[in-house]
Amino acid sequence: MDFDLSADQQALVSGLQAVMRPYEDLTAAERKSFCCYRPALQRALRDAGFFDVASHGLGTLEAGLVAVTAANSPCAAEVATSALVWPAVLDGTPTGPVAYVSGDLNKAARFLHVAHHALIDTGEDLVLADVSAGDVQEVETILAYPYGRFVAKDVVRRGRSLGRAALALARRWARIALALEFAGAAERAVAFTVDYVKQRHAFGQPIGSFQAVQHRLAQCHQLTRGMRYTALYAAWKGSDMAANIAANTAQRHAGKLCFDLHQFNGGMGVTNEHSLHLWTHRLRALQGELGGAQGAALALADELWPAAGAQAARADFVAALAI
Amino acid sequence: MEFAWTPAQDAYRQQVRLALDELLPVDWAEISQDGMGSARQIDYSRVFARALADRGLLVPHWPAARGGRDASPWEQFILAEEMKSVGEPRGPQYMNVNWIGPTLMRYGSPQQQEEHLARIAAGSVVWCQCYSEPGAGTDLAALTTKAERRGDAYIVNGQKIWTSYAACADWCFLLVRTGSGRKDVSILLLPMSTPGIEVRPFPGLVEDGHLNEVFFTDVEVPATAMLGEESRAWEIVLYALSFERVGIPRYHIGREVLEWAVGQLRREGRFDDIARARAAGIVAGFETARLLTYLVVDQRAKDMPPTTDGNVARIAAAEACTELSDFLLTYTPDCLTGGDHVLNAFYRGNISATIAAGTYELQLNLIAQQGLGLRRAA
Ligand SMILES: Cc1cc2nc3c(=O)[nH]c(=O)nc-3n(C[C@H](O)[C@H](O)[C@H](O)COP(=O)(O)OP(=O)(O)OC[C@H]3O[C@@H](n4cnc5c(N)ncnc54)[C@H](O)[C@@H]3O)c2cc1C
Repeated sequence: MDFDLSADQQALVSGLQAVMRPYEDLTAAERKSFCCYRPALQRALRDAGFFDVASHGLGTLEAGLVAVTAANSPCAAEVATSALVWPAVLDGTPTGPVAYVSGDLNKAARFLHVAHHALIDTGEDLVLADVSAGDVQEVETILAYPYGRFVAKDVVRRGRSLGRAALALARRWARIALALEFAGAAERAVAFTVDYVKQRHAFGQPIGSFQAVQHRLAQCHQLTRGMRYTALYAAWKGSDMAANIAANTAQRHAGKLCFDLHQFNGGMGVTNEHSLHLWTHRLRALQGELGGAQGAALALADELWPAAGAQAARADFVAALAI
Repeated sequence: MEFAWTPAQDAYRQQVRLALDELLPVDWAEISQDGMGSARQIDYSRVFARALADRGLLVPHWPAARGGRDASPWEQFILAEEMKSVGEPRGPQYMNVNWIGPTLMRYGSPQQQEEHLARIAAGSVVWCQCYSEPGAGTDLAALTTKAERRGDAYIVNGQKIWTSYAACADWCFLLVRTGSGRKDVSILLLPMSTPGIEVRPFPGLVEDGHLNEVFFTDVEVPATAMLGEESRAWEIVLYALSFERVGIPRYHIGREVLEWAVGQLRREGRFDDIARARAAGIVAGFETARLLTYLVVDQRAKDMPPTTDGNVARIAAAEACTELSDFLLTYTPDCLTGGDHVLNAFYRGNISATIAAGTYELQLNLIAQQGLGLRRAA
């Protein structure tokens, strides 16, 4: 077990950060908006090969590092589904953003408005649909991701069935992808807030010197440490149990994180220009996806405590001995 | 970064499990029912730790010259996990091997090392740690137990409290005041049989053996028993505490307790989705704590300076345990009335898990100030 990045992993993360850096500075219009999505960043990430790390001799953990790091950006880029879910069920690389759509197809889905492809969980099957302009409609939300919904009614029929085995894989990797995105956004939201409470003064001192603020921020930091490592572990392990633990660990704490972080940014935090929402609203967007913390917990419970007669999975996901 | 155990680590864990299978007596459940601080378990620890030492499994992480084999902190931790998962048959001797011995190796005089290290490595001695006082817990530097130099000796007067294992201990790692400055403190190593020491156990909510007052009345300790220089012990205390940065792995017993509750709920047909989701959330909490603990072991194995990830791992584990206690009392309210020792021990141990060895709030202070760089209020 080694928690430090290898030289290759470090190079990968540094390379990704270099590509993302120019997109840190938001335009005046972006600073007033609810969501910052840049096709140019999306293309830059694709052209640099970050969505097919596996074909560069790296593995799913490295794809996970890409997803968690990319989620730090104030710009919402579609990385996690392309880098983790797609390769689990399909060969090659997507030509553009991939939306993972599950549940009611009439509802708004993340990235669907800008997607080239949709991976659709129909409940019975996983369907790959190519998305063209007339198929979707933009949905404006406050949730810091581009959202869209299908207007074409025949998307599933036109799509390619990938089968039930692929569906199971996609569900697993979608939870892992979600946990990584969550962890990356949460880390940045905490770092942003820690920075703010060092600068903002009240009663003649930085608000970050008040213990009420310190303790809750320390708890937020603790939560993000857990999120980071459970999500990266899941990316490495690729098991349902690890996926469910990571998703539950992330989604379960969205409420506390968003409450505390907004509190400590005070009135500034509710102005768009301050930018906090670019991360916290992503947490809110992810909080209930794929069944939310409850869904992940129940899936985990089904593995740990299956109906009578079925075989229980090993209870510890970081198994003391190889599972 | 990668998360696999090495084949050597797997093999080592198997070796430890095998040793436990072979060494633990048939009546171990009974011996251990009142916890590792109970007189019975401490007595047994003297037998068990000796046998463990014979197999080279008591101090493998110590230097070869001191009876170890320079094993890595990973092995030290695997050992701790396996011991804790069966109820810690080493008893209080886990302290000896984890931090008292290593602290003596660093700061002890040749005579002190000669006197103590071989005995610790042989598994035949029980120590207690006398730091806290009625007026000095989190604020340890407020301690008032005084040692005054008189010729070749120190005369100690004062009182300690919450001294785990004191009633059964052979030796004492004692923190005393030797000057008027806040951090003018020193450490004395003395036998608990020294005249003038009185141990008074008192009842409490936690498991047996932890709640003792220790009174020192004109206790004469030879000056050669001082560890390091007079009034320079603060550095030693910090060094010793740094070994505790990898907390005690409580997730095994936590999982055992949770399985008990789930078993009961299933038998009674009450394991509905709400309880299932909550129970699974607790498992997620334990596994998160485990992973964060491994992160700290890794840092230690690489000789990195301590980070606040140690504090993070501790509070993650404490929160999972706290959630479990709450789950037990909510869903299986008879858990503490059925006479089950494991449940009782878990619940009782958990009350103090966020207090002993640095409170939960202290951990948060450290994370905020040392980890996040926030400064203290003026
Ligand atoms: C089961 C058990 C075993 C123990 N074993 C030993 C032992 O073997 N040897 C030994 O020396 N000691 C031992 N202790 C003592 C233990 O180390 C102290 O209880 C602990 O350090 C807390 O000190 P205190 O009890 O005086 O609490 P206090 O320091 O009085 O704290 C009370 C509350 O105030 C909070 N508080 C204090 N200061 C601050 C601050 N600056 N910021 C925010 N909150 C603060 C604390 O977090 C806590 O919530 C043991 C305790 C227990 C419960």
